[in-house]
Amino acid sequence: MLFNSFNFVAFIIPVLFLYWFVFKKSAVYQNIWLLVASLFFYAWADWRFLVLLITSTLINYYLGLKIYQSEDDDRRRNTFLYVGLIFNVGLLLYFKYVNFFYEGFYDLLNLFGADLSYNTLQILLPLGISFFTFQTLGYLIDVYNEEIEPGKDLLEFSVFVTFFPKILSGPIERASGLMPQIQKKRRFEYDVFVDGLRQILWGLFAKIVVAENCAVLADLVFEDYQNQPASTLILGTFFYAIQLYADFSGYSNMAIGVGKLFGIKLMRNFATPFFSTNIADFWRKWHMSLTTWMMDYVFTPLSFVLRRRQKQGLMISIVITFILVGFWHGANWTFIAYGFLHGMYFIPLVYSGKMNTEHIVAKGKWLPTLKEISKMLFLFVLIMITDVFFRAANVSEAFDYLGRILSSTIIDFPIALINGTALTTLLLILIFVSVEWINREKTHDLEISKYPAVLRWGFYTIIFVLILFFGRSAETFIYFQF
Amino acid sequence: MEINMIKDKINQVLVGILEHDNFEIHDELTAKDVDGWDSLSHMMIITKIEEEFGIRFKLRELNKLKNLGSLVSLIQSKA
Repeated sequence: MLFNSFNFVAFIIPVLFLYWFVFKKSAVYQNIWLLVASLFFYAWADWRFLVLLITSTLINYYLGLKIYQSEDDDRRRNTFLYVGLIFNVGLLLYFKYVNFFYEGFYDLLNLFGADLSYNTLQILLPLGISFFTFQTLGYLIDVYNEEIEPGKDLLEFSVFVTFFPKILSGPIERASGLMPQIQKKRRFEYDVFVDGLRQILWGLFAKIVVAENCAVLADLVFEDYQNQPASTLILGTFFYAIQLYADFSGYSNMAIGVGKLFGIKLMRNFATPFFSTNIADFWRKWHMSLTTWMMDYVFTPLSFVLRRRQKQGLMISIVITFILVGFWHGANWTFIAYGFLHGMYFIPLVYSGKMNTEHIVAKGKWLPTLKEISKMLFLFVLIMITDVFFRAANVSEAFDYLGRILSSTIIDFPIALINGTALTTLLLILIFVSVEWINREKTHDLEISKYPAVLRWGFYTIIFVLILFFGRSAETFIYFQF
Repeated sequence: MEINMIKDKINQVLVGILEHDNFEIHDELTAKDVDGWDSLSHMMIITKIEEEFGIRFKLRELNKLKNLGSLVSLIQSKA
């Protein structure tokens, strides 16, 4: 059930109505209802894995309690943590990565002349597994580190894991942020509710207008890249970079917006990442729930162990962390290459010691300076390069694509992209980027609650009209496959 | 070691690594309040503090730190 489907509208209206009018009496009632709705939502997406989701919830609930109760016994604590790590990482490895290692193993043997053939194992990927597994992993580690107390109430813990707006594609929530909200009764707040609707509207615009129109053009180029001149390939990458961002940030805004309708504030996942002047800044604003997760549970321990190696240790930690960030997306060398490139982009920053810059470009000003513009453009080009790996079917295709850009056809007319769709899409991107620029200091991309009513409603109308005229139906989100 | 001496040394470490002194040392100070004290510079600050005081932290101790005050007490318990 996609957020941008009529099924979802038919689902959310009665769920919300009963939540605020019938189950409003206490947190327990609200949580029972949220759990029922969440399990239904997940089952609708893929009922076969409902048992897996429930089992994972129960096991992590039990392990969290056990780690906490073994307070004085370090060996027991460690054992329960390791069981948790093996269980959660094992789930991911089995469902997501087993074929990758299996094929890699055979390829390696064949490299030494073994001449073996293999059949890919047929394993279906449970929806949302990368997201909810990371959430429960983080939870267990936090309990182990005594940063949080475990969820003692199974109902509350189950809502924490399964809360439907974020179950399929995040944000990857932390117990410290979400649990306290689930533990107390939610009161209806008009402002929060309306802000949620606003955020959903903007997410919808990003997804079905911007991302879907870009997708048409990016697909056109990527699926026939061998017959396109370099100039078209560059534009294709440009449209894909915007598509990827609008798709996932649009999804995230809708998820967070839906959370607000229930009085629950989920983590921010994107903070206008393309308005960054260096790569560290970009990652502070891109898929933030994954980046902060990786920072806390991978980078920090790693850089702690390697801290005596100074900048070299820092560098190694960053590259490994980003390779894992890439690999998290899927079992393909393209994602490893994507992560590796991003990690490498940090090297100049680490050695110049200039990774700590102002997070908001041109804070308090209308326009950026020329220097800021050139830095943002340069960063955007670097990201476009990595997005070719993200999009390509395999690494050699990505190299082939990039190689073709470095040819004399770079001055050719990008004929395949001179059409009505491309020009309209460019205009839509301009609107999209302008609104994000104006709101870059706000808590989300369409935080216009302080604007006069006329302006706000004018704005909603324009977005609504744009959705009506330029929206395309969307069957899925890019991040559902991860 | 005396608390003020510890704070002085931490101040020097921060200035040395962050290359500015736009902050005031007090117990409630957190990394978020200081420009440039983020996850990347954090470990360099920690390593420098270890060197300056001749101590070693455990990762679990660092995870539990809430603010500068708790860092000072941790150093005091070790130095």
